Amino acid sequence: MSGPRYHRPKRQDQRLVAFECQSCGWVSYPERKRTCKGCSAAPAEYEEVQLQERGEIKTFVVQHYLPDDIETPQPVAIVDVPQVGDGEPARIYGLLAESELDELEVGREVEARFRELFDDGDRPINSFKFAVPRGEK
Amino acid sequence: MRDAYVVGAGMIDFGELYDQSFDDLLEAAYLNLLEDVDKGVEPSDIDAGWYGTIDFANEGSSGASVAHATGLFEKPITRVENACATGSDAFRNASLAVRAGEVDLALVIGAEKMLDDTAGLIQGAAVERLWRGRGVTMPAFFGMRATRHMEVYGTTKAQIAEVSVKNHENGTKYPHAHQQFECTVEDVQDSPTVSYPLNLYDCCPVTDGACAVLLAGEDVAHEYTDEPVRHAGWGLSSDTFQRGDDLALSNFPASRHASSRAYERSGYGPDDVDVAEVHDCFSITELITYEDLGFCGDGEGGEFIESGAPRLDGHTPVNPSGGLLSKGHPIGATGVAQIAEIYEQLRDEAGDVQVDDPEVGLQHNIGIGRNATGAVSCVNVFDRG
Repeated sequence: MSGPRYHRPKRQDQRLVAFECQSCGWVSYPERKRTCKGCSAAPAEYEEVQLQERGEIKTFVVQHYLPDDIETPQPVAIVDVPQVGDGEPARIYGLLAESELDELEVGREVEARFRELFDDGDRPINSFKFAVPRGEK
Repeated sequence: MRDAYVVGAGMIDFGELYDQSFDDLLEAAYLNLLEDVDKGVEPSDIDAGWYGTIDFANEGSSGASVAHATGLFEKPITRVENACATGSDAFRNASLAVRAGEVDLALVIGAEKMLDDTAGLIQGAAVERLWRGRGVTMPAFFGMRATRHMEVYGTTKAQIAEVSVKNHENGTKYPHAHQQFECTVEDVQDSPTVSYPLNLYDCCPVTDGACAVLLAGEDVAHEYTDEPVRHAGWGLSSDTFQRGDDLALSNFPASRHASSRAYERSGYGPDDVDVAEVHDCFSITELITYEDLGFCGDGEGGEFIESGAPRLDGHTPVNPSGGLLSKGHPIGATGVAQIAEIYEQLRDEAGDVQVDDPEVGLQHNIGIGRNATGAVSCVNVFDRG
Protein backbone atom coordinates (compact mmCIF):
# COMPACT_ATOMS: atom_id res chain seq x y z
CA MET A 1 0.00 0.00 0.00
CA SER A 2 1.26 3.45 -0.83
CA GLY A 3 1.71 6.13 1.82
CA PRO A 4 -1.31 7.97 3.25
CA ARG A 5 -0.65 11.14 1.26
CA TYR A 6 -1.17 9.21 -1.94
CA HIS A 7 -3.78 6.81 -0.64
CA ARG A 8 -6.32 9.41 0.53
CA PRO A 9 -7.27 10.86 -2.87
CA LYS A 10 -6.80 7.54 -4.70
CA ARG A 11 -10.37 7.19 -5.92
CA GLN A 12 -10.53 10.77 -7.20
CA ASP A 13 -7.24 10.40 -8.98
CA GLN A 14 -8.03 7.04 -10.54
CA ARG A 15 -11.71 7.57 -11.38
CA LEU A 16 -11.94 11.36 -11.94
CA VAL A 17 -14.47 11.67 -9.13
CA ALA A 18 -15.08 15.24 -7.89
CA PHE A 19 -17.36 16.95 -5.37
CA GLU A 20 -19.90 19.71 -6.07
CA CYS A 21 -20.96 22.22 -3.41
CA GLN A 22 -24.76 22.14 -3.18
CA SER A 23 -24.86 25.80 -2.11
CA CYS A 24 -22.88 27.48 -4.90
CA GLY A 25 -21.98 24.79 -7.43
CA TRP A 26 -18.21 25.05 -6.95
CA VAL A 27 -16.40 21.80 -7.74
CA SER A 28 -13.61 20.40 -5.58
CA TYR A 29 -11.05 18.06 -7.09
CA PRO A 30 -9.28 15.98 -5.91
CA GLU A 31 -9.95 16.91 -2.29
CA ARG A 32 -13.04 15.66 -0.50
CA LYS A 33 -13.90 18.77 1.54
CA ARG A 34 -16.35 19.84 4.23
CA THR A 35 -15.94 23.58 3.64
CA CYS A 36 -16.27 25.47 0.35
CA LYS A 37 -13.61 27.52 -1.45
CA GLY A 38 -16.35 29.08 -3.60
CA CYS A 39 -18.90 30.38 -1.07
CA SER A 40 -17.17 29.72 2.30
CA ALA A 41 -20.10 27.49 3.40
CA ALA A 42 -19.10 25.60 6.56
CA PRO A 43 -20.16 22.94 6.80
CA ALA A 44 -20.85 22.66 3.09
CA GLU A 45 -22.95 19.93 1.59
CA TYR A 46 -21.25 18.14 -1.30
CA GLU A 47 -22.52 15.72 -3.91
CA GLU A 48 -20.20 13.39 -5.74
CA VAL A 49 -19.95 14.14 -9.47
CA GLN A 50 -18.18 12.39 -12.33
CA LEU A 51 -15.76 14.41 -14.45
CA GLN A 52 -15.49 13.98 -18.21
CA GLU A 53 -12.33 12.54 -19.69
CA ARG A 54 -11.75 15.67 -21.77
CA GLY A 55 -10.87 19.19 -20.70
CA GLU A 56 -9.60 22.55 -22.00
CA ILE A 57 -6.20 24.14 -21.45
CA LYS A 58 -6.68 27.52 -19.75
CA THR A 59 -2.95 28.27 -19.57
CA PHE A 60 0.29 26.30 -19.57
CA VAL A 61 4.09 26.36 -19.30
CA VAL A 62 6.89 24.11 -20.49
CA GLN A 63 9.38 23.45 -17.71
CA HIS A 64 13.01 22.99 -18.79
CA TYR A 65 14.70 22.92 -15.38
CA LEU A 66 13.58 20.12 -13.09
CA PRO A 67 15.37 17.57 -10.90
CA ASP A 68 17.37 15.06 -12.90
CA ASP A 69 14.90 12.21 -12.42
CA ILE A 70 12.05 14.11 -14.10
CA GLU A 71 11.95 14.14 -17.88
CA THR A 72 12.26 17.57 -19.51
CA PRO A 73 10.87 19.48 -21.24
CA GLN A 74 7.88 18.92 -18.97
CA PRO A 75 4.69 20.79 -19.95
CA VAL A 76 2.08 21.42 -17.27
CA ALA A 77 -1.27 23.20 -17.60
CA ILE A 78 -4.24 24.50 -15.71
CA VAL A 79 -7.12 22.53 -17.21
CA ASP A 80 -10.88 23.01 -16.88
CA VAL A 81 -12.45 19.55 -16.77
CA PRO A 82 -16.27 19.59 -17.21
CA GLN A 83 -18.64 17.37 -15.27
CA VAL A 84 -20.67 14.68 -16.95
CA GLY A 85 -23.96 16.60 -17.28
CA ASP A 86 -24.58 20.18 -16.17
CA GLY A 87 -22.58 22.21 -13.66
CA GLU A 88 -19.26 23.97 -13.25
CA PRO A 89 -15.99 22.39 -14.37
CA ALA A 90 -13.19 21.42 -12.01
CA ARG A 91 -10.14 23.68 -12.47
CA ILE A 92 -7.03 21.61 -11.86
CA TYR A 93 -3.33 21.23 -12.57
CA GLY A 94 -2.58 18.65 -15.20
CA LEU A 95 0.72 17.26 -16.36
CA LEU A 96 0.77 17.00 -20.15
CA ALA A 97 2.12 13.94 -21.88
CA GLU A 98 2.39 12.35 -25.30
CA SER A 99 1.87 15.66 -27.10
CA GLU A 100 4.01 17.82 -29.36
CA LEU A 101 5.01 21.09 -27.69
CA ASP A 102 3.85 23.11 -30.69
CA GLU A 103 0.35 21.59 -30.34
CA LEU A 104 -0.10 23.22 -26.94
CA GLU A 105 -2.16 26.40 -26.78
CA VAL A 106 -4.74 28.12 -24.61
CA GLY A 107 -8.17 26.74 -25.55
CA ARG A 108 -6.81 23.39 -26.83
CA GLU A 109 -8.93 20.38 -25.90
CA VAL A 110 -7.02 17.61 -24.16
CA GLU A 111 -8.00 14.13 -23.06
CA ALA A 112 -7.22 12.39 -19.80
CA ARG A 113 -5.02 9.32 -20.01
CA PHE A 114 -4.43 7.06 -17.04
CA ARG A 115 -0.69 6.87 -16.45
CA GLU A 116 1.96 6.30 -13.82
CA LEU A 117 2.53 9.79 -12.43
CA PHE A 118 5.70 8.98 -10.52
CA ASP A 119 7.20 6.46 -8.14
CA ASP A 120 7.02 7.17 -4.40
CA GLY A 121 10.03 4.95 -3.74
CA ASP A 122 8.08 1.75 -3.14
CA ARG A 123 5.51 1.62 -5.89
CA PRO A 124 4.04 3.65 -8.74
CA ILE A 125 1.47 6.37 -8.09
CA ASN A 126 -1.15 6.43 -10.84
CA SER A 127 -3.38 9.24 -12.00
CA PHE A 128 -4.41 11.10 -15.11
CA LYS A 129 -2.15 13.04 -17.40
CA PHE A 130 -3.55 15.05 -20.27
CA ALA A 131 -2.74 14.75 -23.96
CA VAL A 132 -3.81 16.30 -27.25
CA PRO A 133 -6.25 13.75 -28.74
CA ARG A 134 -4.71 11.71 -31.55
CA GLY A 135 -5.89 12.42 -35.08
CA GLU A 136 -7.42 15.79 -34.13
CA LYS A 137 -4.44 18.07 -34.51
CA MET B 1 -5.45 54.43 17.80
CA ARG B 2 -2.11 56.12 17.35
CA ASP B 3 -0.08 55.87 14.14
CA ALA B 4 3.08 53.81 13.78
CA TYR B 5 6.22 55.28 12.20
CA VAL B 6 9.37 53.79 10.71
CA VAL B 7 12.32 55.47 12.46
CA GLY B 8 15.27 53.50 11.13
CA ALA B 9 16.37 50.86 8.62
CA GLY B 10 19.36 48.54 8.43
CA MET B 11 20.11 46.80 5.15
CA ILE B 12 23.00 44.47 4.32
CA ASP B 13 24.50 43.74 0.90
CA PHE B 14 22.48 40.86 -0.58
CA GLY B 15 24.36 38.10 -2.36
CA GLU B 16 25.89 34.66 -2.14
CA LEU B 17 26.95 35.03 1.47
CA TYR B 18 28.64 31.67 2.00
CA ASP B 19 30.93 33.07 4.71
CA GLN B 20 28.03 34.30 6.86
CA SER B 21 25.74 32.12 8.96
CA PHE B 22 22.00 32.66 9.41
CA ASP B 23 22.78 34.33 12.78
CA ASP B 24 25.49 36.47 11.15
CA LEU B 25 22.94 37.86 8.69
CA LEU B 26 20.54 38.80 11.50
CA GLU B 27 23.31 40.35 13.56
CA ALA B 28 24.61 42.43 10.66
CA ALA B 29 21.19 43.82 9.75
CA TYR B 30 20.48 44.62 13.41
CA LEU B 31 23.78 46.46 13.87
CA ASN B 32 23.23 48.42 10.67
CA LEU B 33 19.79 49.40 11.94
CA LEU B 34 21.11 50.67 15.29
CA GLU B 35 23.69 52.72 13.44
CA ASP B 36 21.10 54.14 11.03
CA VAL B 37 18.75 55.68 13.63
CA ASP B 38 19.27 59.46 13.38
CA LYS B 39 19.23 60.24 17.10
CA GLY B 40 20.47 56.84 18.21
CA VAL B 41 18.71 54.01 20.01
CA GLU B 42 19.63 51.80 22.94
CA PRO B 43 18.87 48.07 22.63
CA SER B 44 17.08 48.32 25.98
CA ASP B 45 14.56 50.73 24.36
CA ILE B 46 13.29 47.95 22.09
CA ASP B 47 10.13 46.45 23.56
CA ALA B 48 9.45 43.57 21.19
CA GLY B 49 10.47 41.98 17.92
CA TRP B 50 8.82 40.42 14.88
CA TYR B 51 10.96 38.10 12.79
CA GLY B 52 10.16 37.21 9.20
CA THR B 53 11.64 34.03 7.78
CA ILE B 54 10.39 30.92 6.01
CA ASP B 55 13.44 29.14 7.50
CA PHE B 56 14.41 27.89 4.05
CA ALA B 57 17.69 26.63 5.54
CA ASN B 58 15.66 24.41 7.87
CA GLU B 59 17.53 25.46 11.02
CA GLY B 60 14.44 25.55 13.24
CA SER B 61 14.81 29.31 13.32
CA SER B 62 12.33 30.99 15.68
CA GLY B 63 11.99 34.20 17.70
CA ALA B 64 14.72 32.89 20.00
CA SER B 65 17.14 32.94 17.06
CA VAL B 66 16.79 36.71 16.89
CA ALA B 67 17.49 36.94 20.62
CA HIS B 68 20.63 34.85 20.12
CA ALA B 69 21.78 36.97 17.18
CA THR B 70 21.07 40.35 18.78
CA GLY B 71 21.30 39.80 22.53
CA LEU B 72 17.66 40.92 22.95
CA PHE B 73 16.72 38.26 25.48
CA GLU B 74 13.69 38.42 27.78
CA LYS B 75 11.69 40.37 25.16
CA PRO B 76 8.77 38.95 23.21
CA ILE B 77 9.96 38.06 19.72
CA THR B 78 7.56 36.37 17.33
CA ARG B 79 8.38 34.57 14.13
CA VAL B 80 6.04 35.25 11.22
CA GLU B 81 5.84 33.04 8.12
CA ASN B 82 3.57 33.88 5.21
CA ALA B 83 5.25 32.70 2.00
CA CYS B 84 6.74 35.59 -0.02
CA ALA B 85 4.77 38.07 2.10
CA THR B 86 6.65 36.89 5.20
CA GLY B 87 8.72 40.05 5.82
CA SER B 88 5.94 42.49 4.99
CA ASP B 89 3.47 40.59 7.16
CA ALA B 90 5.95 40.57 10.07
CA PHE B 91 6.07 44.35 9.66
CA ARG B 92 2.27 44.58 9.51
CA ASN B 93 1.94 42.60 12.75
CA ALA B 94 4.53 44.76 14.51
CA SER B 95 2.74 47.89 13.36
CA LEU B 96 -0.60 46.68 14.71
CA ALA B 97 0.98 46.10 18.15
CA VAL B 98 2.52 49.59 18.09
CA ARG B 99 -0.77 51.15 16.99
CA ALA B 100 -2.57 49.33 19.79
CA GLY B 101 -0.25 50.97 22.31
CA GLU B 102 1.07 47.66 23.59
CA VAL B 103 4.56 48.29 22.19
CA ASP B 104 6.35 51.65 21.87
CA LEU B 105 9.38 50.50 19.89
CA ALA B 106 9.34 47.36 17.75
CA LEU B 107 12.12 45.64 15.86
CA VAL B 108 11.13 44.07 12.54
CA ILE B 109 13.80 41.83 11.12
CA GLY B 110 13.72 39.54 8.11
CA ALA B 111 16.37 37.07 7.01
CA GLU B 112 16.81 34.10 4.73
CA LYS B 113 19.67 31.73 4.05
CA MET B 114 18.76 30.48 0.60
CA LEU B 115 22.10 28.98 -0.42
CA ASP B 116 23.03 26.64 2.41
CA ASP B 117 20.75 23.95 1.01
CA THR B 118 22.11 22.64 -2.27
CA ALA B 119 18.83 20.98 -3.24
CA GLY B 120 17.27 24.35 -3.91
CA LEU B 121 13.82 25.56 -4.74
CA ILE B 122 13.14 23.51 -7.84
CA GLN B 123 13.97 20.23 -6.14
CA GLY B 124 11.77 21.06 -3.19
CA ALA B 125 8.86 22.25 -5.28
CA ALA B 126 8.92 19.49 -7.86
CA VAL B 127 9.63 16.23 -6.13
CA GLU B 128 8.18 16.00 -2.64
CA ARG B 129 5.03 17.84 -3.64
CA LEU B 130 4.66 16.49 -7.14
CA TRP B 131 1.40 14.85 -6.28
CA ARG B 132 -0.66 17.81 -5.17
CA GLY B 133 1.21 20.52 -7.03
CA ARG B 134 1.73 18.15 -9.98
CA GLY B 135 5.28 19.19 -10.60
CA VAL B 136 4.61 22.91 -10.63
CA THR B 137 7.75 24.86 -9.73
CA MET B 138 7.83 28.58 -8.96
CA PRO B 139 8.80 29.64 -12.50
CA ALA B 140 5.89 27.49 -13.73
CA PHE B 141 3.37 29.01 -11.35
CA PHE B 142 4.21 32.53 -12.47
CA GLY B 143 4.91 31.53 -16.06
CA MET B 144 1.31 30.34 -16.41
CA ARG B 145 0.19 33.95 -15.83
CA ALA B 146 2.51 35.05 -18.63
CA THR B 147 1.10 32.53 -21.13
CA ARG B 148 -2.44 33.55 -20.25
CA HIS B 149 -1.68 37.30 -20.29
CA MET B 150 -0.09 37.00 -23.73
CA GLU B 151 -3.10 35.05 -25.00
CA VAL B 152 -5.84 37.26 -23.54
CA TYR B 153 -4.26 40.71 -23.88
CA GLY B 154 -1.66 40.30 -26.63
CA THR B 155 1.20 41.12 -24.25
CA THR B 156 4.55 40.26 -25.86
CA LYS B 157 7.63 38.51 -24.50
CA ALA B 158 9.59 41.66 -25.36
CA GLN B 159 7.33 43.77 -23.14
CA ILE B 160 7.76 41.29 -20.31
CA ALA B 161 11.55 41.38 -20.83
CA GLU B 162 11.50 45.20 -20.57
CA VAL B 163 10.70 44.83 -16.87
CA SER B 164 13.91 42.87 -16.36
CA VAL B 165 15.91 45.41 -18.39
CA LYS B 166 14.59 48.29 -16.26
CA ASN B 167 15.20 46.58 -12.93
CA HIS B 168 18.71 45.42 -13.81
CA GLU B 169 19.57 48.97 -14.85
CA ASN B 170 18.28 50.27 -11.50
CA GLY B 171 20.16 47.52 -9.66
CA THR B 172 23.49 48.72 -10.99
CA LYS B 173 22.85 51.98 -9.13
CA TYR B 174 21.72 50.35 -5.87
CA PRO B 175 24.66 49.35 -3.67
CA HIS B 176 23.01 46.39 -1.91
CA ALA B 177 21.82 44.56 -5.06
CA HIS B 178 23.07 41.02 -5.69
CA GLN B 179 23.20 40.92 -9.50
CA GLN B 180 24.69 44.17 -10.76
CA PHE B 181 24.69 44.08 -14.53
CA GLU B 182 22.71 45.70 -17.29
CA CYS B 183 20.96 43.67 -19.96
CA THR B 184 18.95 44.26 -23.12
CA VAL B 185 15.66 42.78 -24.30
CA GLU B 186 17.72 40.57 -26.62
CA ASP B 187 19.88 39.38 -23.70
CA VAL B 188 16.74 38.37 -21.81
CA GLN B 189 15.27 36.58 -24.81
CA ASP B 190 18.57 34.84 -25.62
CA SER B 191 19.07 33.58 -22.06
CA PRO B 192 18.12 29.91 -21.45
CA THR B 193 14.45 28.99 -21.18
CA VAL B 194 13.68 28.10 -17.56
CA SER B 195 9.96 27.53 -17.92
CA TYR B 196 8.43 28.69 -21.19
CA PRO B 197 7.57 31.55 -21.62
CA LEU B 198 10.11 32.70 -18.97
CA ASN B 199 13.85 32.87 -19.63
CA LEU B 200 16.67 32.98 -17.10
CA TYR B 201 16.81 36.79 -16.92
CA ASP B 202 13.05 36.86 -16.36
CA CYS B 203 13.74 35.13 -13.02
CA CYS B 204 15.17 36.58 -9.81
CA PRO B 205 18.41 35.09 -8.52
CA VAL B 206 18.75 32.88 -5.45
CA THR B 207 20.17 35.13 -2.76
CA ASP B 208 21.05 35.29 0.93
CA GLY B 209 20.13 38.45 2.81
CA ALA B 210 18.68 40.22 5.82
CA CYS B 211 17.16 43.59 6.67
CA ALA B 212 15.79 45.26 9.80
CA VAL B 213 13.57 48.27 10.44
CA LEU B 214 12.43 49.97 13.62
CA LEU B 215 8.81 50.99 14.27
CA ALA B 216 7.79 53.55 16.89
CA GLY B 217 4.49 54.92 18.20
CA GLU B 218 3.75 58.49 17.06
CA ASP B 219 4.25 59.90 20.57
CA VAL B 220 7.83 58.55 20.77
CA ALA B 221 8.92 58.53 17.10
CA HIS B 222 10.55 61.97 17.31
CA GLU B 223 12.87 60.74 20.08
CA TYR B 224 14.61 58.73 17.33
CA THR B 225 14.38 60.94 14.24
CA ASP B 226 12.94 64.24 12.99
CA GLU B 227 11.95 62.55 9.72
CA PRO B 228 9.91 59.48 10.59
CA VAL B 229 7.91 57.75 7.86
CA ARG B 230 4.28 56.95 8.65
CA HIS B 231 2.74 53.52 8.05
CA ALA B 232 -0.42 54.84 6.46
CA GLY B 233 -2.20 51.71 5.26
CA TRP B 234 -1.98 47.94 4.92
CA GLY B 235 -3.78 44.93 3.54
CA LEU B 236 -3.27 41.18 3.55
CA SER B 237 -5.23 38.73 1.43
CA SER B 238 -5.19 35.27 -0.09
CA ASP B 239 -6.72 33.60 -3.13
CA THR B 240 -6.52 30.53 -5.33
CA PHE B 241 -7.10 29.97 -9.04
CA GLN B 242 -9.18 26.95 -8.00
CA ARG B 243 -12.05 29.29 -7.08
CA GLY B 244 -12.76 29.62 -10.79
CA ASP B 245 -12.24 33.35 -11.48
CA ASP B 246 -10.51 33.64 -14.88
CA LEU B 247 -8.73 36.78 -13.64
CA ALA B 248 -6.72 34.51 -11.31
CA LEU B 249 -5.22 32.82 -14.40
CA SER B 250 -3.62 36.03 -15.73
CA ASN B 251 -3.36 38.19 -12.59
CA PHE B 252 -3.50 38.02 -8.82
CA PRO B 253 -6.85 38.91 -7.23
CA ALA B 254 -5.09 38.66 -3.83
CA SER B 255 -2.97 41.71 -4.76
CA ARG B 256 -6.16 43.57 -5.68
CA HIS B 257 -7.85 42.77 -2.36
CA ALA B 258 -4.74 43.65 -0.32
CA SER B 259 -4.07 46.92 -2.17
CA SER B 260 -7.74 47.98 -2.06
CA ARG B 261 -7.67 47.67 1.71
CA ALA B 262 -4.33 49.47 1.97
CA TYR B 263 -5.59 52.31 -0.23
CA GLU B 264 -8.82 52.56 1.75
CA ARG B 265 -7.05 52.67 5.11
CA SER B 266 -4.49 55.23 3.96
CA GLY B 267 -6.91 57.45 2.05
CA TYR B 268 -4.60 57.30 -0.98
CA GLY B 269 -5.23 55.76 -4.37
CA PRO B 270 -2.96 54.39 -7.08
CA ASP B 271 -2.59 57.86 -8.65
CA ASP B 272 -1.13 59.17 -5.38
CA VAL B 273 1.73 56.65 -5.29
CA ASP B 274 5.03 58.40 -6.07
CA VAL B 275 7.32 55.38 -5.67
CA ALA B 276 6.68 51.63 -5.33
CA GLU B 277 8.68 48.55 -4.42
CA VAL B 278 6.73 45.59 -5.80
CA HIS B 279 7.18 41.83 -6.02
CA ASP B 280 9.10 41.09 -9.23
CA CYS B 281 10.15 37.52 -8.44
CA PHE B 282 9.68 37.16 -12.20
CA SER B 283 9.40 39.90 -14.80
CA ILE B 284 5.79 38.94 -15.56
CA THR B 285 4.89 39.34 -11.88
CA GLU B 286 5.76 43.04 -11.95
CA LEU B 287 3.93 43.58 -15.26
CA ILE B 288 0.65 42.15 -13.95
CA THR B 289 1.16 43.88 -10.59
CA TYR B 290 0.97 47.26 -12.40
CA GLU B 291 -2.59 46.24 -13.21
CA ASP B 292 -3.41 44.66 -9.86
CA LEU B 293 -2.31 47.79 -7.96
CA GLY B 294 -4.25 50.05 -10.33
CA PHE B 295 -1.24 51.83 -11.86
CA CYS B 296 -2.81 51.02 -15.25
CA GLY B 297 -5.92 49.23 -16.52
CA ASP B 298 -6.36 45.49 -17.03
CA GLY B 299 -4.30 44.24 -19.93
CA GLU B 300 -2.32 47.49 -20.13
CA GLY B 301 0.77 46.32 -18.22
CA GLY B 302 2.73 45.81 -21.44
CA GLU B 303 2.00 49.33 -22.65
CA PHE B 304 2.75 50.71 -19.19
CA ILE B 305 6.32 49.38 -19.17
CA GLU B 306 6.80 50.38 -22.82
CA SER B 307 5.73 53.94 -22.00
CA GLY B 308 8.56 54.29 -19.48
CA ALA B 309 6.12 55.14 -16.66
CA PRO B 310 7.74 52.78 -14.10
CA ARG B 311 11.30 53.95 -14.82
CA LEU B 312 13.24 56.03 -12.28
CA ASP B 313 12.28 59.25 -14.11
CA GLY B 314 8.79 58.05 -15.06
CA HIS B 315 5.34 58.91 -13.74
CA THR B 316 5.23 56.03 -11.22
CA PRO B 317 8.77 54.71 -10.54
CA VAL B 318 8.62 51.00 -9.66
CA ASN B 319 11.47 49.10 -8.03
CA PRO B 320 14.17 51.79 -7.93
CA SER B 321 16.23 49.33 -5.85
CA GLY B 322 16.42 46.95 -8.80
CA GLY B 323 13.67 44.82 -7.38
CA LEU B 324 13.96 41.14 -6.66
CA LEU B 325 15.23 40.59 -10.21
CA SER B 326 18.47 42.43 -9.45
CA LYS B 327 18.61 42.77 -5.68
CA GLY B 328 17.67 39.15 -5.01
CA HIS B 329 14.88 37.47 -3.07
CA PRO B 330 15.93 36.13 0.36
CA ILE B 331 12.30 35.43 1.15
CA GLY B 332 11.95 36.55 4.79
CA ALA B 333 14.12 39.63 4.18
CA THR B 334 12.47 40.69 0.92
CA GLY B 335 9.47 42.62 2.24
CA VAL B 336 11.50 44.28 5.01
CA ALA B 337 14.12 45.39 2.48
CA GLN B 338 11.41 46.88 0.26
CA ILE B 339 10.11 48.84 3.27
CA ALA B 340 13.67 50.00 4.06
CA GLU B 341 13.95 51.32 0.50
CA ILE B 342 10.62 53.17 0.73
CA TYR B 343 11.87 54.67 4.03
CA GLU B 344 14.98 55.96 2.28
CA GLN B 345 13.02 57.22 -0.72
CA LEU B 346 10.55 59.22 1.41
CA ARG B 347 13.48 60.79 3.26
CA ASP B 348 15.31 61.66 0.03
CA GLU B 349 18.23 59.42 1.06
CA ALA B 350 18.13 56.92 -1.81
CA GLY B 351 21.26 58.12 -3.56
CA ASP B 352 21.57 57.24 -7.25
CA VAL B 353 18.09 55.69 -7.33
CA GLN B 354 16.33 58.58 -5.59
CA VAL B 355 13.07 59.49 -7.35
CA ASP B 356 11.84 63.07 -7.54
CA ASP B 357 10.54 64.25 -4.15
CA PRO B 358 8.10 61.41 -3.31
CA GLU B 359 5.34 61.94 -0.74
CA VAL B 360 3.67 58.54 -0.85
CA GLY B 361 5.33 55.11 -1.20
CA LEU B 362 3.91 51.61 -1.60
CA GLN B 363 5.37 48.18 -0.86
CA HIS B 364 3.89 44.93 -2.26
CA ASN B 365 4.47 41.18 -2.11
CA ILE B 366 2.68 38.35 -3.86
CA GLY B 367 3.62 34.82 -2.91
CA ILE B 368 2.62 31.31 -3.70
CA GLY B 369 1.63 28.78 -1.14
CA ARG B 370 -0.02 25.46 -0.59
CA ASN B 371 1.84 23.54 -3.26
CA ALA B 372 1.42 26.18 -5.91
CA THR B 373 -2.36 26.34 -5.66
CA GLY B 374 -2.62 29.42 -3.43
CA ALA B 375 -1.55 33.04 -3.55
CA VAL B 376 -0.99 35.48 -0.68
CA SER B 377 -0.42 39.23 -0.95
CA CYS B 378 0.60 41.94 1.50
CA VAL B 379 0.58 45.66 0.67
CA ASN B 380 1.83 48.50 2.88
CA VAL B 381 1.47 52.23 2.13
CA PHE B 382 3.68 54.95 3.62
CA ASP B 383 3.82 58.73 3.67
CA ARG B 384 5.92 61.47 5.22
CA GLY B 385 3.45 61.81 8.07
